[in-house]
Amino acid sequence: MSTSTELVASVEIAHEARTERVPPGASEGPVLRVIPGEAVRVAALLGRDGKLAAAMAFGALAAGASLVGLVGTRDGRTLVERAELLRDARPDLIVVLAPQRGDAKDLGELAEALRFGCADQHPLPHILVAADERVRERVAAACPANPIESLPDVRTFAGREALVARLRAVRRRAQGDVVLRDEALEAAARAMAANAKADVVLLDVTGGQTSVIHARPDGFVLGIHERLGVGASADRVVARAGLDRVRRWMPRAVEAPALLERVFNRARWPDAIPASVLALSLEMALAREALAHTLADAERAGVSLDGPFAAPLVVLTGRLAELPRAAQSLLVAIDAFGPTAPTLVARAPGDALVAAGALAARGRVAAMPAAADPIAIVSAMWPRRSTTVRIKDENGVTEERIARGSLVRIPTRGAAEIVIGKTTIRPSADHLEVGVVIDARGRPLGLPPRDAERIPTLARWNAALDVLPAEAR
Amino acid sequence: MVWRYARHSADHPLPIGASERAAVGQEVHAGDVLAAGTTYGTPVRISGARRLGVAPQDLERVMRVAIGGEVERKTVIARTGRRFARAVSSPIAGRVIHRRADGDLYVAPVVGRWVVRSTLDGDVTRSDDACVTVDGSAWALQGVAAYGPDAIGDLSLAVDSPSDELQPSRIDVRLRDRILIAGARATAEAIARAHACGVAAIVAGAAPAGGLSVVYGEAATASGATTGPDAPTVLCLIGFGSAPLPHEVFTPLVALVGARAAVHTASARLFVFAPENAGDFARGAPSLALANDWLGARPMDEHLTLAGPVRFASEIEADAVTTPDGPVPVANVLAFDAPRTPRS
Repeated sequence: MSTSTELVASVEIAHEARTERVPPGASEGPVLRVIPGEAVRVAALLGRDGKLAAAMAFGALAAGASLVGLVGTRDGRTLVERAELLRDARPDLIVVLAPQRGDAKDLGELAEALRFGCADQHPLPHILVAADERVRERVAAACPANPIESLPDVRTFAGREALVARLRAVRRRAQGDVVLRDEALEAAARAMAANAKADVVLLDVTGGQTSVIHARPDGFVLGIHERLGVGASADRVVARAGLDRVRRWMPRAVEAPALLERVFNRARWPDAIPASVLALSLEMALAREALAHTLADAERAGVSLDGPFAAPLVVLTGRLAELPRAAQSLLVAIDAFGPTAPTLVARAPGDALVAAGALAARGRVAAMPAAADPIAIVSAMWPRRSTTVRIKDENGVTEERIARGSLVRIPTRGAAEIVIGKTTIRPSADHLEVGVVIDARGRPLGLPPRDAERIPTLARWNAALDVLPAEAR
Repeated sequence: MVWRYARHSADHPLPIGASERAAVGQEVHAGDVLAAGTTYGTPVRISGARRLGVAPQDLERVMRVAIGGEVERKTVIARTGRRFARAVSSPIAGRVIHRRADGDLYVAPVVGRWVVRSTLDGDVTRSDDACVTVDGSAWALQGVAAYGPDAIGDLSLAVDSPSDELQPSRIDVRLRDRILIAGARATAEAIARAHACGVAAIVAGAAPAGGLSVVYGEAATASGATTGPDAPTVLCLIGFGSAPLPHEVFTPLVALVGARAAVHTASARLFVFAPENAGDFARGAPSLALANDWLGARPMDEHLTLAGPVRFASEIEADAVTTPDGPVPVANVLAFDAPRTPRS
């Protein structure tokens, strides 16, 4: 692949409050901007098909939009309750999903509730209709002032792509020629999968958003983008997961109110740096929950995660890749993501990968930078009894016995490869910063609820990978 | 700049069911009723245009009660004809709330009433069923998050110094309808006591996030929480936990004690209605530093000294500034008036 950036001199990547330029320094030509994108609020009016809600949730996740309201024909709400829900939701866009003819009458009711609740909203929300022609007529009659656009059936791939394109256009609004961060990452993942001729998963956790992107070598890309993060959206992670689920990852006893204080302060302090070990542990805890809930939402929306979990290459970006130790990025990733097959994990700190992805997304052919450094080969297993794995590196072959429930790190030197029975997948790398990690803890991860048992368990895992500086042990 | 005397705009979103609203151009004062309306019970759908034998678009012409009008049971809502009259009457007492595209009508019983009051002295610049906007001049202070309903009252000092915590023992019913200036921290106990004593609002450097969750529920986030009228109002100026107020903020607040003020919760702003020449309040914004463990924030000295790259306990290397309590990452130092929400 060649690099061609004739028309773009540099790429500017916006973070929470700061911007970084790739390459650094003053630009001597046009600048391509990468932005997180505005939060788009979407409400959906749904027909009777039970799969429509999941299809809508899938579309919103793929587009990085916030699904702020679902109103169904059979939700039992009155006109006033539906109208109040829609008014409070303040949607930027309304999506009408009703592929069946028989939904026309009931959808008319929902459209009346929409007009009753949002007739004076400024600007009026556009209505995207993926429905039978009769439904469209009813909606148009009930909401004559709202601009109406047609969409293909969002339960299909083409329909979802159309919805994603439309929602992303809204997220870019009034920003000129920009690339959304998730678009750039999807393009980067696609290029990496094509280069590696293997499935690639890209995990990106930033202050405001978490993305899980699965790219196949045939060009297929599945992106899930949720407004959960370790910075501006940290309070949303707590609201979504609950404070106890975040607190359970803290490697020392921390009172819940004090933890919530830290989360709230971080949420309102753009680009703040975790200077203490405790703040760093909190950032890691938030990243775990942000990833876990993004994956959980994807599963709830009907997305099959078998492919991503079995991908042989996982790349970490964003704040997840910028943790001071590679082992910290790795432990967060395997705790929250939990690959099921032997996987090479790499991390790409900085913005080089995002910049290359932005150029690729704009059609400028860009070579993926070698900025993604392999940090570990991870193999998850759940053996009935102790089992042996063989690791080859420059020192020769090492055999390691793995006990059920353990987390083991085997440091390697030079080119390394892992040999495990019952699989032909043998990830290898020229150099691994952390080494080979065998995760025999099983899934779901069992963390005891009481501090007296939980903290030693976490300390054991942290010590196995040498995750935290001495202060926190 | 921390304090700013300027023309501000405040949106007042309305619930469903507005029955009266201030007109565009009308002059209002903080505390005046901008809109009033009713909350509805389960609505009843009644046949309108079909029953009358008119086209849906002609229904309005024959209606005797306008949309939004109150009706008693059996009130005739619409009627056609003279000798062979056809009429639509209300099956229940309530209000005619909505006319459908097909000409049917909804009537809903009234189960409650609400009012929305202005938080600014000024003129109404937008007025519709969704929102009333008021533009007006005032001294304003931008906070990071506000909780509870909008509040209006006279400013009153409840602490001796900007680093003091608001003590519940200093709050009593004599402070009813006042906006209290707290210092570094307003605890949940102080917030609850103030609400019980009828205090309009508390303005503090910070409030404990756990306490806010207790008072406002789990839905309260770092962005604030807008609630119904039966909740206390709290404006956090700097952050959460504990945050002493900078002198540039506290001194003008003390000078403005007794002035009429309002807290606009949705935008987390304090408006003070004092003359433009009330004092020399327009000073440069002080710097604020987030604690290294993110547990609070504090104002910094005027002159910050760069310490160069520093390796912190978390092993992160970053440019830092020197403080008496040790180095602080430059990224964790913000001006008081810096935007605190990420840009899109």
